[in-house]
Amino acid sequence: MDFSAVGAAAAEALTLASFIGIGGGVLLGYVVGVIPGLSRSVAISIAIPMTFYMTPYIAISFLIGLSKGTAAGSAVSAILLNAPGEASSAATALDGYPMAKQGKPKTALQIGLIASVAGDILATIILIFVAIPFARVALLFGPYEMAAILAFALVFIAGLSGGSLFKGLAAGGLGIFLGTIGLDNQTGLPRLTFGYTELMDGLPLIAVAIGTLALSEMFVQSERLRYDRANMAVQLAHRPDDRITWPVMKRITPTILRGTGVGTFVGALPGLGPSVGSFMSYGMTVRAAKDPETFGKGNPKGIAASESADNAVIPAALIPLFGLGIPGNVSAALLIGAFAIHGITVGPLLLRDNPELLYSIFAGMILASLIMLALGWFGLMVFAQITRVPPHVVIPIVIFFCLAGMMLQGYGAFGLVILMAFALLGYLMKKYDYSFVTFLVAFIITPMLELNLRQSIILSRGNWEVLLNRPIALFFIVCTVIALVMLAWRTVKTGKPAAGAPAD
Amino acid sequence: MKRRTLLAASAALAAIVAAPMATASDWPTRPLTMVIGFAPGGSTDIQGRVLANVMEQYLGQPVNVVNQPGGGSAVAFTRLKNTTPDGYTFLFGGTTALTFTPIITPVEYEIDDFEYLAAVALGQNAIVTSAAQPFATFDEIIEHGRSNPMTYAQQTPLDEAIIRAIAAEEGLDLAIVPTGGGGGMAPLVLGREVDFAYSGGTHAQYTPTGEMVVAAFMSAERSPFYPDVPTLIELGYDYSIEDYRTIIVPQGVPDEVKARLISAAEFASTAQAFIDITEGNTFFPVVFIGQDEMEASVRRIRAATEEVMAN
Repeated sequence: MDFSAVGAAAAEALTLASFIGIGGGVLLGYVVGVIPGLSRSVAISIAIPMTFYMTPYIAISFLIGLSKGTAAGSAVSAILLNAPGEASSAATALDGYPMAKQGKPKTALQIGLIASVAGDILATIILIFVAIPFARVALLFGPYEMAAILAFALVFIAGLSGGSLFKGLAAGGLGIFLGTIGLDNQTGLPRLTFGYTELMDGLPLIAVAIGTLALSEMFVQSERLRYDRANMAVQLAHRPDDRITWPVMKRITPTILRGTGVGTFVGALPGLGPSVGSFMSYGMTVRAAKDPETFGKGNPKGIAASESADNAVIPAALIPLFGLGIPGNVSAALLIGAFAIHGITVGPLLLRDNPELLYSIFAGMILASLIMLALGWFGLMVFAQITRVPPHVVIPIVIFFCLAGMMLQGYGAFGLVILMAFALLGYLMKKYDYSFVTFLVAFIITPMLELNLRQSIILSRGNWEVLLNRPIALFFIVCTVIALVMLAWRTVKTGKPAAGAPAD
Repeated sequence: MKRRTLLAASAALAAIVAAPMATASDWPTRPLTMVIGFAPGGSTDIQGRVLANVMEQYLGQPVNVVNQPGGGSAVAFTRLKNTTPDGYTFLFGGTTALTFTPIITPVEYEIDDFEYLAAVALGQNAIVTSAAQPFATFDEIIEHGRSNPMTYAQQTPLDEAIIRAIAAEEGLDLAIVPTGGGGGMAPLVLGREVDFAYSGGTHAQYTPTGEMVVAAFMSAERSPFYPDVPTLIELGYDYSIEDYRTIIVPQGVPDEVKARLISAAEFASTAQAFIDITEGNTFFPVVFIGQDEMEASVRRIRAATEEVMAN
């Protein structure tokens, strides 16, 4: 490592301009994260033109700060409103919302924030010191490995959800079915688009996610407002015990470390994305726990598992970006464009040609995490006040944001129709106890699984013996089979799935 | 059908009403919208945003970029067709959604629904392979393929059709996989999961490191950035994929307005900022091709593409 470059980088990272730029990015991201209906990738694409007038270092740090901010902010709405701001915080709501309802909204928010910041900083450190030289390892994960991992993720995450096995299969099957809509990615022929040009790229993920996660929850809460008013709002009582304590910190530390590991792994593999990371981490935490039945009822580990992995994905997605020039997910792909507008080509050459810029960005990323901690800590005092606002005021505002966010993202009236349709679907799924998590994860994973499976079958020319030379793929296939067998066994034995789903 | 006729009629009416108001000197009087048919971050988006910035300087009104991704710009063209033809909304992007997409997919627009005002950059369709492979040129790929089964990563049915035709001609045993775009192509090539692949411009990020090599160009002419790499046509295969990054408006825009947009495009093609980013970062040569030539090119490419796809 070039130390004079590191010194210069640190100096640039500590200027006032960079504090304002990065702080502004984190704040903006945090607000976008909190508001259900605005998503990370949209925030980045809207913010890219704002960076035209910044120096490259501040521009990139601003955008990364924004990314990080959304990941932390989305926990707030997940915990307080059960309406996650991003799909990747849906796992946070599973334990965060019950905990908030038990009179500990601040504790839940603090756990979420600490897990976010810890996951973020640790993954950033891994990115800086370990990952870039080893970024090539990601190339070992070809189509066979990716297909196997995706199949595993699908079965594993599906296994978390409540309800009967058959309801789970129905929800997952619907997600898989809807995930196949759009142009066939090889022949370009339309599948189930019914002549709508808007469906050529499939159902817009943002509309499906916001509809099933956030908007449907507002329907559920409106109904409860009518019949069950006494037992719904999260109350902010100034209870002295409503804060995070050392014993809790100690309990969640191993969870945060595991979450960071899972998040970093998922982030470093191109294409998987934060939702897979947070749910995998949540699932592994439930499996590892001695008290799996307490999850879904306000277990602090549930919040920590989901948030630490969600945030760790953000810096980890930059591992293949800086090491190989391959973006780890959608937001990282947007960064390539932002770099290019500033005349910089991202990839391994960046370290050789422009090390000062790269180290500055690293310094900026650490700074962003610290600003996020400070901002989040004071922010949660402010956001916790949301709970004082009566639900009949909060619900219409959230609905407004969901609809306005959809319009803002350029999907037009078509997007609103999709949003409403999935809000209704989400409402029915919640009401009749079908797992909307299984549905959504299946929907997100299906297109990637299809592409990778298809590549594997074509490349192997249908010869399965190819797998004998692919130990990583074989490992995940075995894991998938074990997960399937366990799932079936559990259903046969008890007729009840493991804990994980919220009881309501 | 009736609704569409009505729409067209009202659009025509709007054009008649709007026409006398716009004169060459005072247009535009309010901000313009540049539609990009792809998500932010890709080469079209990068070029478009810089172009918008430069056009803004020339026209004296803000040019706002709006991304309308979907179906390789098909969504954006469908919407563009139904906008008021006053020149305030125009599209910047490649022409493949007109020269190719309608051949295989039913879409609600056709070439004649639009006017092609000016092209400012040339698409760079290439065949790429990894530097770690035992072959580097297209001839070496074919040579290797005569005695070994080969794999190819496609991105569109058009490049697949061309490569299939060449493979059949040369007697290759070729398996073709989809990639879902340039981002999905790079790991397959660099990880040597496939032997060679199509690239619509993504290679610009990887050839400077020496990890990826361009074996041949599918464009009609050689790229000035890879002067030693021949085109497929030069190699004796009569196929090409041409793509022009063009400013496109719906039919019916007043002539004065079109003239202003064309001169703004010409101004941009000489602006240093636009040249630097387009050539330096996306490796697309900056050109200026006027309306007459573009109208002819789009129709010529469409006819050639139909011929390739018919086989």
